Amino acid sequence: MNKTAKSTCDSDRQSKKVKTSHGSTQGTQGQKADVKGCAAGKDACSPGPERSSESSHTMQKRSQKEAKSTRSDSPSSQQHLMKTSPAEDEKGFYFFQKCKHWNEPHSLGDADLYRDEDEIQKELQDKQQTESVAAGEAQSSVSAAEDLQTYSQREWKGNTTKSLLIRKGYETIASEFKLRRVRGDNYCALRATLFQVLSQSKQLPAWLRDSDIREWPKETQSDQDFIKEWKFPFETSKSKVRHLEQCLERLKQRWEESVQCRSLEQRERLCQEVFRVHDEEYELLEALKFLMLRTAIHLHSDMEKGSDVPEFCWLLFARDSSRCPKTFFTNHLRHVGFSGGLEQVEMCLLGYSLQQTMQVVRLYKCETEEFIIYYPNDHKKDWPTLCLLTEDDRHYNVLVSQNSSKFDEYGRPKWNLPSDGQPSKTTRL
Amino acid sequence: MSFIPGQPVSAVVQRIEIHKLYEGDNLILGFSIGGGIDQDPTQNPFSEDKTDKGIYVTRVSKGGPAEVAGLRLGDKIMQVNGWDMTMVTHDQARKKLTKKNEDVVRLLVTRKSLEETVRQSMMQH
Repeated sequence: MNKTAKSTCDSDRQSKKVKTSHGSTQGTQGQKADVKGCAAGKDACSPGPERSSESSHTMQKRSQKEAKSTRSDSPSSQQHLMKTSPAEDEKGFYFFQKCKHWNEPHSLGDADLYRDEDEIQKELQDKQQTESVAAGEAQSSVSAAEDLQTYSQREWKGNTTKSLLIRKGYETIASEFKLRRVRGDNYCALRATLFQVLSQSKQLPAWLRDSDIREWPKETQSDQDFIKEWKFPFETSKSKVRHLEQCLERLKQRWEESVQCRSLEQRERLCQEVFRVHDEEYELLEALKFLMLRTAIHLHSDMEKGSDVPEFCWLLFARDSSRCPKTFFTNHLRHVGFSGGLEQVEMCLLGYSLQQTMQVVRLYKCETEEFIIYYPNDHKKDWPTLCLLTEDDRHYNVLVSQNSSKFDEYGRPKWNLPSDGQPSKTTRL
Repeated sequence: MSFIPGQPVSAVVQRIEIHKLYEGDNLILGFSIGGGIDQDPTQNPFSEDKTDKGIYVTRVSKGGPAEVAGLRLGDKIMQVNGWDMTMVTHDQARKKLTKKNEDVVRLLVTRKSLEETVRQSMMQH
């Protein structure tokens, strides 16, 4: 079993190499690919806290010492593999069964050992059909909406504990949302967030409305001289500062367009235009990264001054590899999209920078308190909510809320609302 | 009568038998109810515990069947003809009280003063 596991694992990794991101550096495939691809085989895993659960614990005010231990390795190092828990070796099995990235051919998994040839053939045909539909979407980085139950049953066959848990997670939310799959590269968290912003925003956030954000790169540059280290996923002839200005301008433009959309069709057209795996999309994603940097700089200086800062800041700068904005940028932010994705604490930073609350459904935390988590969690009432889905805190997909009475249009659960000062219902008998 | 997790909820209850009255075509009881699990409990002026989503008497018509039977403003209705009323929606409660073929409803109600009366009489022994 192990042998088979390894060889399939490698060939899958190969195909990932071909497909993955725009601007991926040679060799490193991103922490996501590493963790998923190579957890096959029981010998690869040593008991230890699961990396993602460590990160989520750091959200809960653990001491600095412990926060240090989660981040002592660099983002893309192979050491992450050693931190997977014994439960993780189940990943080896369902890694074959899942075909998350729609460019990948269907891998035959364990379930197929017991299936009829005709059944397998039929499924491959069906899969090709859906793929050609997807291809017909002309290379969109966010797929069309699909039913969560169907997706979950297709991707998570088998009866490992993990499969059952994940399917349960999908089932729990299947009546409230539909799924839109996001391209599986290291930009996925940013991309999913950007997509939700453009497809939902009803008004510009205060920071975008009230300032001229095109001034910001110059300001940041004069303050902290490290914009020159910025990595773009595309060629640029302009200065980096100038290019960032352009990125921010694009973001403002598109956000304004989205807010002015009068119908869902218009919004969908806008999103199709943007999410085409084109330069513009990457410019917008880089703009988001810049906003995160700028916010980090401001928060850090507030921290130094002793002013009140949100909790996640302490965690952000408690990591050995990111004690200050400069190291945060050099060791983390700079690599987002290339060799690394966003950590949970960085998701908080993203939400905070945009003044949006990211409501993330985390399937592997189904049946725990952390099933649904908010990044950040202190502005749930006053910032718009963007709904995302993750199976593993690595890859993020988009959730589109269905019009159901249980959730409002932003995907926020609707509880019994207080009567706004009106007397509650009283019936005369 | 607040809810303390882990402890059984007990209440001193009184039986109230209301004979409905015909007013034109309708059978009336002569009181109004508020509350229910689908309502906002913080608006209830009569409850001790503001998370209590029970059914409360919010009005009693003067001289009506309910007043005559001994129902009082602020009473919490625990049961109606044996049906539980502590965990029902507002509408479910209404339905249990207004069944067309019943002209008598037997309620079990509780009120703060009842508890105090019992406690006092117990202290005297």
